[in-house]
Amino acid sequence: MKPEASLDFTGRKFMVTGGANGIGWATIIRFLSGGASVACLDNNAAALEAIASKAGERLLPIHVDVTDTVALNAAVEKAAETFGGLDGVVNAAGVDLQAGVETMEDAAWERLIAVNLTGPMKVCRAAIAHLRQAGGGTIVNLSSGAGLRPIENRSAYSASKAGLQMFSKALALELSGNGIRVNVVCPGAVDTPLFRSGIPGGEEGEKELQSIRARYALARIAEPDEIAAGVAWLSSPESSYVTGVILAIDGGRTFH
Amino acid sequence: MTGTRRFSDKTVVVTGGGAGIGLAIARRFLGEGARVAVLDINAGDARAALAEEYGSRLLAVDGDCTEHETSFAFHNRTVDIHGPVDILINNVGQSGRERSAPFHESDEAVWRFVLEVSLLSAMRMSRLVAPAMRERGGRIVNMSSDAAFAGDAGLVDYASAKMGVVGFTRALARELASFSVTVNAVAPGAIRTRAHDSVPAEVIERIISNTPAGFAGEPDDVAATVAFLASEEARFITGQTLLIDGGRWMI
Repeated sequence: MKPEASLDFTGRKFMVTGGANGIGWATIIRFLSGGASVACLDNNAAALEAIASKAGERLLPIHVDVTDTVALNAAVEKAAETFGGLDGVVNAAGVDLQAGVETMEDAAWERLIAVNLTGPMKVCRAAIAHLRQAGGGTIVNLSSGAGLRPIENRSAYSASKAGLQMFSKALALELSGNGIRVNVVCPGAVDTPLFRSGIPGGEEGEKELQSIRARYALARIAEPDEIAAGVAWLSSPESSYVTGVILAIDGGRTFH
Repeated sequence: MTGTRRFSDKTVVVTGGGAGIGLAIARRFLGEGARVAVLDINAGDARAALAEEYGSRLLAVDGDCTEHETSFAFHNRTVDIHGPVDILINNVGQSGRERSAPFHESDEAVWRFVLEVSLLSAMRMSRLVAPAMRERGGRIVNMSSDAAFAGDAGLVDYASAKMGVVGFTRALARELASFSVTVNAVAPGAIRTRAHDSVPAEVIERIISNTPAGFAGEPDDVAATVAFLASEEARFITGQTLLIDGGRWMI
């Protein structure tokens, strides 16, 4: 996409979870190129290592798991302290789980809910005071088309993403008096490491990719930056009267 | 997002661009470098507000969007002067609020007027631009309303038209997706326009008390969203209806 299309985020301070790759990283690139400072929270050490060379005054990578309340709270404080506050949060951290309900293991279910649903709650809980102190702010939570339409054998994932939507709306209501807007982006299939990890290799994988592409009116899956464009817009003053909405960026799949 | 010119070399049509939200949309696209053609029953207001600053980049035509001949001639003139339409903003609409009535007493002529202005005009203008957009790609943004979701008493026709816009948006999005044309809608809530001023004060108060943001939006809030959906940035968004309502509905 055209670089001149990027929004002006000069002086703004953001925190992005799951920020070291995929949609989170694409979002960080947009924030950085718009002039913002960004804390990149991720539990993936290898992915953090890959972006370590870009760390500097405006990019603060922090190794943390969003399910670890104590460490997470410390990470949020570190981000706010480093930049002198926080203006926006993006919850992009997420995991997938393919499992039928009959054979579902408690630990697998609980881990997924802990990352995808409870995680964003914990991040918001820790960040809200900083957003309030800044006189307002933005929260964008990454849900999924799976939160609008169920996916077979992904009951935990679908439920977590639908839950995240309602959490976000409830939070939007709760924070509306503080000038804090909360919105949700629902991507369809996006070409990210998380997506690729669910596709088998070889001919079988190519066949599956073809059938996935055919589900989208635009006949392709998204690039991470196409999702980041919507996240950035919802994090900007351009969307100042938009709160509590679900924006599907899915090339015409859910027609939400 | 100021000072950027995302729409240089783009031709934009804004129906109902003479006042309120439509005028804000026209101004936004002109400000970002576009050539803009406005069709409005009273386009003089757009000329008065914008012509001095933007000169020949503004084409403001007086005419009724519900008339096929008028729309057809307007489209031809736009193409002749500004080139083929890249972005169509189907903004025109009327609630018929001043003639609203309990449904059992409602007047079929008012239904037809509301559906003509608020739904069929969007279909008509979209059909005019579709052939070129199928060749060159494009963007269509339609104006729905939170009235589609509110289902206000006394505004059955308007709610029907605006929910009709949602269905029209989805179906056309699917049909044009493979031609690099996206079709989306926006659904504004309480926005401070002249039409808004004609709504009784107690109705406005009730709406704002149900709006978590606690205030009515400005036409520029809608224009910013429309510009985003019309931009390259939003190329993977299609068939959506985006509420701009300060959190009133959250659906």
